[in-house]
Amino acid sequence: MNGPDRGAWRLIAARDFWVRLRERSFLISTLLNVGVISVLVLARAGGGLGGAPSFDLGTVGGSDVVDVANAAATLGYPDITVRVHPYPDPASADAALRDGSIDAVVTETQLYGLESVDQRLEALVQTSAHQIAVEAVFAEHHVPEAQRAAASRTSPLALGALQPAPPDRQKNAGVAFIGVLLLYGQLFGYGMWVATGVIEEKASRIVEMLLSAIRPRQLLAGKIIGIGVLGLAQLITIAAFAIGLALATGTGVVPATAIWAALLVIGWFILGYGFYASLFAAAGSLVSRMEELQNVIVPINLTILVSFIISIGSLQDPNSTLAVVASILPVSAALAMPVRIVLGVASGWQIALSLALLIGSAVALVPVGARLYAGAVLRTGSRVRLRDAWRAA
Amino acid sequence: MLELLDLHRRFRDVVALDGVSFTVPEGRIVGFVGRNGAGKTTAMRIALGVLDADQGQVRWRDAPVDTAARRRFGYMPEERGLYPKMRVLEQLVYLARLRGTPKAEARANAERLLATLEVVGDPDARVESLSLGNQQRVQLAAALVHRPELLVLDEPFSGLDPVGVDVLSGVLRRAARDEGAAVVFSSHQLDLVERLCDEVVLIDQGRIAAQGTIDELRASRARNLWQVQLRDVSTRWWEVIPGTTPVRSVDGTIVLELLPATDPQRVLDVARSAGDVLAFGPVRASLQELFREVVS
Repeated sequence: MNGPDRGAWRLIAARDFWVRLRERSFLISTLLNVGVISVLVLARAGGGLGGAPSFDLGTVGGSDVVDVANAAATLGYPDITVRVHPYPDPASADAALRDGSIDAVVTETQLYGLESVDQRLEALVQTSAHQIAVEAVFAEHHVPEAQRAAASRTSPLALGALQPAPPDRQKNAGVAFIGVLLLYGQLFGYGMWVATGVIEEKASRIVEMLLSAIRPRQLLAGKIIGIGVLGLAQLITIAAFAIGLALATGTGVVPATAIWAALLVIGWFILGYGFYASLFAAAGSLVSRMEELQNVIVPINLTILVSFIISIGSLQDPNSTLAVVASILPVSAALAMPVRIVLGVASGWQIALSLALLIGSAVALVPVGARLYAGAVLRTGSRVRLRDAWRAA
Repeated sequence: MLELLDLHRRFRDVVALDGVSFTVPEGRIVGFVGRNGAGKTTAMRIALGVLDADQGQVRWRDAPVDTAARRRFGYMPEERGLYPKMRVLEQLVYLARLRGTPKAEARANAERLLATLEVVGDPDARVESLSLGNQQRVQLAAALVHRPELLVLDEPFSGLDPVGVDVLSGVLRRAARDEGAAVVFSSHQLDLVERLCDEVVLIDQGRIAAQGTIDELRASRARNLWQVQLRDVSTRWWEVIPGTTPVRSVDGTIVLELLPATDPQRVLDVARSAGDVLAFGPVRASLQELFREVVS
C-alpha cells in the first residue's frame, strides 16, 4: 500500500463520525439515555432500588410509644435512618400512611404499614419494643444495674458464609444493571448504524465511486471506526453524567466503584463492538434496500438480545451455569461478563479466558466480515447469498 | 496510456469479456461503443479496479495499475451515485480528498468545476435538493475534481440536455487537449462520438470488433459505396460495368458497391452516357452505419 493512501480510512471515519453526530437520531438517543439513567439513578437515591435505607415511622399513643420509635431509630443508626413522626390520632396517621409521607405506624399494640411493613423496619421496632418491655420489668423488680447489663448483653451467633458475597453487592447490582443496559443500547444501536450506513452507500450507489478510489477494507474499517468512536464518545458522556448524578444525589455509590464500573462498560463496549460490527457490516452489504435489512440482521439482533436477557438474569444469580457460560462465550461475553465482574464473582481465569476468546474471535471475524462485505457490496438488486459473497471476494 | 490486455470475465455462465484488449493514449478521447450487454461497463469497472478480471491485465504508463495509480483516475459509473444528504461542495471536496488531493486544492477545483459545468444551485445545498440534470453535472464534477490523468466515463451524456452535452464536450476536450488526460467514455449517441472522439473502440459480445480513428474504421470496415443521381433514367445502366452491385435505390439516386479493382471514374463515364448526372460521389459511412456493419 502506498504512502498517501494510508489516510483514506481516516477520512471515511471522520465523515461517518460527523455525519451521524449531526443526525437527529443521535441527539434523541443521547437524550433518551440520559433520561433513562436519570430515572434509574434518582430512583436509587430515593431508596427505590435498595439504596441506603431510610424510613419514616409514625407514632400514635403516649410517650412509651414514642420511646419505642426513638429506640428503633437509635438501633438502626447509622446504617438505617428512621425518622419519627408523632400523630395525635389513628385517623391522621392513616392518612399520612396513605399519602406516602410515612412508611409505617406504631401504636401501643400494633405495627402496621399501608400494604406491608419493611422487614428491616419491623425488626428494629420489634427489638426496641422488646428491650423497652424488658427494661420495664427490670425496673419493677429493682434489678441492680450490673445484672441488667449482664441480662441484656447478648452473645449473638457469629455470622459467616461459605462463599461470602462481596460487600455492596446490592449497590453494585444497581450499577451493573445500568451498565448492561447502556452496553446493550450501544452495541445494538451502533451495530445497526454500521449496517444501515453500508446499505445507504449501496442504495445510493456511491459505493462504486468510493471503491474506485479506495479498497473495500479501508472503506469498511473507516466506517466501523468512525461509528465506533462516536458510540464510545456518547458512552463516555453518558457514563460521566451518570456518575456525576449518582454522586450528587447521594445514592451511596462509592465513587471508585462507579468509575471502575464505567471503565469496564467502556472497555467491554470496545471489545463487543469489535466483535459485532464487522458482522453487522457484512449483513448490511448483502442487501440493497433498507426494507430488506430486517431479514439479514435478525440472527445478530437475537444474539445480542439473548445475551442481554441472560445478563439481566445474572444480576440475581451471577454464579449460575448459564451466567458463567454466557460470560465466557464470545457471542455473549461483552454483555454477560461485565455484570459478573461488577458483582465481584468473576474469577481471574474466567475473565482471562473470556477476554482471550472475545479478542481472538473478533480478530478472526474482522477479515471474514470484510471479505463478505467486499464480495457483496457492489452487487445491487436481489439479496446476495453468503456463499456467493464469500466466493466473489 | 491505459492498456487493457486480454481481459476475460465471466459472471456465472455468462461470458462478459472474452479477451478484450485496447488502449487509451494520453491526450486523446476514445469513444467506447457497443450494444447493451456487450461488455462496456464490465471492461470499465475492471479498468478502475472496482471489479477484478478473471484473466488479463490493466496497465497504466507501462506498469500494472496499483492503488496509487488508481487514485489519479477519474470515474463516472453507469449507476450514478452520490451521498444524497451531503452538501454539494462538501461532497466534491471529500471525494477529491479520498483520492489524495489536499483540502484547499480540492476546494478550489470543486468551485471551479461547479462554475465550468454551470451547476445551478447553492454549493451548500444537499445533493438531493438539486434537479436531476444538475445532479448529473455534480456527478461529472466528482469524476474531475481531483484533476485525473485518466478519465473513464460510463454513459456520461445520458440524461443531459443539449446545452449540457455541449458543456461536457468542451470539458472533455479541454481535459484531453490542454491537460493531456487520457479520456474514454461509452455512449450510444454515435453522432456525438463521431464528432468528439479521436478514436473509437467497438465492442461486440465481449470482444473488440474494431478499433481506430473513424477514418481508419471506414477504410477497413466500410464497403466501397458510391452514389449516382441521374435525371429520369430507369435503365439498369450499371450492369455493363464489371464488379458493380446495386445496394439501394431511392428517388433516382442509386448506391453502388464497387469491388476494389473497379474504377469509380468508369462508373461516372457510363452514367453520363446513360443520362444527365446530377450528383456523383463516395458514400461516407457514418459511425452509425459502421456500427451496424460490425455488429450485424
